[in-house]
This record gives sequence, C-alpha cells and structure tokens, in this order.
Amino acid sequence: MTPAVHVIENVATIPSALHPAMDIRGLTVSYRAAPVLWEVAATFPAGQLSAIVGPNGAGKSTLLKAALRVVPADAGRVRIAGIEGAAALDHVAYVPQTASVDWDFPITAGEVVAMGRYRAAGWFRRLSRADRTIAAQCLERVGMAGYARRQIGQLSGGQRQRIFVARALAQQARVLLMDEPFSGIDTRTQVDLLALFRELCAAGDTVIAVHHDIGQVRECFDWALLLNVRSLGCGPVASVLTPAAVTEAYGGGRGLAWPA
Amino acid sequence: MAGLTDSLGALLGLPYTDVVVLLGAVVLGVTSGVLGAFAVLRRRSLVGDAISHSTLPGVCLAFLLAGAKDVPGLLVGAAIAGLAAAVLMVGAERLGLPADTAIGVVLSGFFCLGIVLLTYIAGSGNADQAGLGNYLFGQAAGLLISDVAVMAGIGAVALATVVVGRRALTATLFDPAHAAALGLRVRLVEIGMTVLLVVAVVIGVRLVGAILMVAMLVVPTVVARQFVNRLHQVLVLAGAAGAVVGAVGALAATRAQLPTGPVVVLVGVTLALVAVAFAPGRGAIWQAQALARRRRRSRDEALLSDPHAPDRSLMDRYRRTTLRRRGLLADDGSTLTPRGRQQVEDLSERRSLWSAWLAHGWRLDLPDAREPDPHDLAGSLGPQALDQLRRLAATAGGTR
Repeated sequence: MTPAVHVIENVATIPSALHPAMDIRGLTVSYRAAPVLWEVAATFPAGQLSAIVGPNGAGKSTLLKAALRVVPADAGRVRIAGIEGAAALDHVAYVPQTASVDWDFPITAGEVVAMGRYRAAGWFRRLSRADRTIAAQCLERVGMAGYARRQIGQLSGGQRQRIFVARALAQQARVLLMDEPFSGIDTRTQVDLLALFRELCAAGDTVIAVHHDIGQVRECFDWALLLNVRSLGCGPVASVLTPAAVTEAYGGGRGLAWPA
Repeated sequence: MAGLTDSLGALLGLPYTDVVVLLGAVVLGVTSGVLGAFAVLRRRSLVGDAISHSTLPGVCLAFLLAGAKDVPGLLVGAAIAGLAAAVLMVGAERLGLPADTAIGVVLSGFFCLGIVLLTYIAGSGNADQAGLGNYLFGQAAGLLISDVAVMAGIGAVALATVVVGRRALTATLFDPAHAAALGLRVRLVEIGMTVLLVVAVVIGVRLVGAILMVAMLVVPTVVARQFVNRLHQVLVLAGAAGAVVGAVGALAATRAQLPTGPVVVLVGVTLALVAVAFAPGRGAIWQAQALARRRRRSRDEALLSDPHAPDRSLMDRYRRTTLRRRGLLADDGSTLTPRGRQQVEDLSERRSLWSAWLAHGWRLDLPDAREPDPHDLAGSLGPQALDQLRRLAATAGGTR
C-alpha cells in the first residue's frame, strides 16, 4: 500500500462538519410482513438538538436500532457523520431504553460507564489508564462521581439514566442516539440532561433523541423528525411539528383520510 | 497428577480413591459454578436443564456406535447430543416457538430417547454396559484420575475463555442492544455462552447425572449473588461455592454409599436456602426486618401525630406501649410527653421539608446527582442545600 492511498483512506473515515450528523435514505425495516419503517428519509444536521417524534408503534426505536445496525434493514442506507457501514459505529453512541435492562445484574455504575470504552480500547484488551480517566470524567459530568461503586439497581431511575448517558459520553462519539432519555425520570434529571445535551450540541456534537413529549420538543429542541412508519416531515421544529402534521401522524386525521 | 493425588491424600489423610473423587468434584464444582452463571444471569437456567437431560442419548449412542466405554469417550457423545439440543432450542425459538415450549419439547424428547436406549443396552446382554446408568444420577466412585485430568483440561480451557472474553460476555449479558451498538457480534457471544454451558454440563454429568446437573449450574450463582454485587466477584464466589458443594457432597456420598448426584445437590440446595434466607442485605430475613422497621416507623409517626385516635389493631396497641416505654407518650398512653412533643415537631419539620423537596427540589443547586433520604433530608442534602430549600419553600408560600 502506498502512503498516498493511506492518506486518502484516512480522510474518508474522518467525520466532517460538512456532513450531516445522520443521513437516512429509503430506510425500510420489517420484523414480520408489514414494514415497521417504510422508505424513511431524514437528515439531522450536526450541532442540532434533534427529536424523533411519533405515536406508539411508529418505529422510532427501530429507526435508532437500524441506524446502529442492531436490527437489519431490508433496504436503504444510513450515513453517520458521512460514513456508511460498520465503521460509522466509531462516531455514534447509543442510550437504549432503560426498560430493556436487567437492573439486578451484578455490575456497578462505574463498570457500566467503563463499557463505553470497550470498543475504542478493544474487546480483548485491558482498559488503559486513559480509558479509566475518560470514564471517571464522564461520571463526573453527569454528577455521579460519588456513585461509581454502587450496584446499578441501587440507583434511582434518574440516576440510572445519568449513568447510561455517561456510558454514551465515554464513547466520545460526535453523534448520540437516545431512546426516550426523558421517560420515567425526575424533573431534576430532565433539567440537567437537557442542559447537558444543549452543551454538547453547542460544542458541535449532535444529540438525536426519541421523545414522546411534543410540548417539550417544541420548546427545547431545534430539529425534529415526525415519524409514523413513514416520514411525515424532517426539519426545524416549527416547520415540522405543525398542528396539522402532528394530527396526521397521531391518527387524528384517520376519519377524514379513510371515509367509512 | 498422580503425584498431586498422593500428596493430597497424605495431607488430608484420605485414601487414594477418595482423593480422586474429591478432585473430580472440585473440578466439577468450579466449572459448573462459573459457567452456570452465564445461564442464570441470562435467565436461561432451564436451557441448562434441557442440555443436561439431552446428554443421556449421546452417552448411549457413543457406547452403541463407537463402542466407547471410557469416560472421555462417552463424554464426547454427551457433548454432541448437548450441542444438538442447544441448536434445536435456538432454532425453535427463532421460528417463533416460545422459549419455554422449545425447552420442554427438546428436554423430554432427548431424555426419552436416552431412557429407551439405556433400556435397550441393558437388555442386550452386553457385558460392558454396567455403569451407563450412572449417567442418570451420577456416580463419583469408579472415576479414574485420568478422567479427572480430562475434565480439568476442558474446564481450564473454558475458564480461560471466560477470562479472555469477560468484557464481551459482560456487555452482552447486561445490555445486548448497547453491546451490539458498540459493534460487538452479540449473537456470536450468545452462541459462545451456550457452548460454555454445554462444556459445564459435560464435565459434570458423570458425577452429578443428567437429571440433577441443572442444580450445579444454578445453585452456586444463587449463593454468590446473595453476597456480592459485581460480575467477577459473582464468578469467583460461584466457583468456590461449587467446589465446596461438590467436594462435601461427593465425599459424603462415597462414604455413605449413596448415589453422588442427589447428595451433592442436597448439599447445594441447603447452602442456597441458607444464603437466600440469611445473607445480609439481600437475604429474606434481612429484607423482612427492614420492611418491618419501615412499617413500625410509619406507625409510630402516625400515632405520635394523632395520639388520641383509637387503636385500630393489635399492632397499634403494641406500638403505643413501646412509645410509652420510650418516654414519648405519657402513662395514659394518649398524651404527649415534652420529649414526645419535641419528636412531633421534628416530624412535622421533616414533612414540610420533604414536601418542599418534592415541589422545588429540582431547582436546588446541588454539587452532584444526590437524592435525599426522606428521613434525613438535612444529612443527605447538606446544610447549604437545606437553607436554599427552606428559602424556596418560603418564597413560593409567600407569593401564592
């Protein structure tokens, strides 16, 4: 391999502010016969606090999982920071729904956050001092430095969510995908997390969160994707979450669209 | 290995055969304890049960087809049958069959085949067949030191795999979706865990038997989880618990001329019961006491804040007596003493602070994500935050 080729390869894997944080084209996913997501197209610009909004069963969680290659897509492509495929996972961190985790599992809060370093450190290598420092800083950043040695289940719902966010921060990715980060947590944690997300976006990172509270999205978010199996609009919050569009997404328009 | 056996025998004052049994039981206990944890923590204990039942036809077929009579040869058959059962269960689940149904069908199907083959072999008049029945309930007697060496070798490889792959295993066990988003091949790790489970079963099935092997997979983790909160500690403690259970049970069984499996499992279940009942923190007794303390406290607070209310239960009368003895209620049982009044004042102060926290807590400047203890708001929040909370409550009350 010549040095010149090497340089070009490197350029191709560096995320750039020129690329959108996440770009989705024609994404179709189906678990059974009917698609959960159908030809979804969406673009999330870098540095914007973005929300994915839609009714239950709209495919919001599936969209995140497909983007992260946790579930396979039937068709379409997802680019994260301009990169497609498995290499994109270097630039994206994931906060799954807290309901999907076994909280009685024997693991401490500090160990959970350290998991965020596993990919960068290598699965079969011991975490370096630098990795441990990063994990400790992320714990500190969510206000949980004093809780590193607690078993994860001994924490409150809000504290658990902070730990999950810290684990995502520890990945040091430019794009953070979060599945309902505000559900089931206390007001204080909501306020703190929202401020943290704002800080991250101001620094050029991108937070894309599934969120069920349309009021809060209108108030606090920059960008939104309105989803119900298909995309019903993706853009600045004010232009996407119009009353008419929300009504259509949530099925209020059914009676008109499907005459009896 | 022989040298080790001799010196261990001299050290413990045991005959050679007992030392072999002891070594075998320790190998069994450590491997099944550590590897079984990956079934228990994934909530797949019954998969371990199905795999162990499924080894029986494998043992019989190895004897019939390959003419294997030695333990390692028969264990190869057990391993193949166990893997086949695991593949069938995973396949059935992928096809949409509920997991418990798949387990039930595979377990009973394989085990019945094993029983039929065992009966056929017994009736065939083959002189070598004596001892195959041991794979039902397990038998430590007759184990050779070379068999133990084979078991230990396989076990060591499996344990080394756990040590090397511990991060991938932990990530997959705790949060598979996140592990997959880190780029881990979660499905591959899960297959690896199932293979480790088969290894544990195969190592243990000669001593404990196909029917009871599941206990040795489950019991050590149940015991260990009662005492420690981190995965590597659970694994180490489960290995130790398995070794103790295996050693005590196997020696007792050979001494008393009882089948090894049931005695080992009885020892293990006893240990598990003790751990579940008495472990500090997680134990049933500890938890019941904590609950009773909380209830007593609420009762006492209710009684003190309304001492003239009639007793509604025997518990109330008992608590009233206790409060009188502690000098909080006067001898008539319904008037507050000065100390009792002080207590009530503290209580109402705590209550107003708690409701202030619920209303305004999120606006406090706290140094971290701490959350208050309702019974000790001042201690858990710190004096500064407490002052701020009082001010917030006062302003909010004034503007209302």
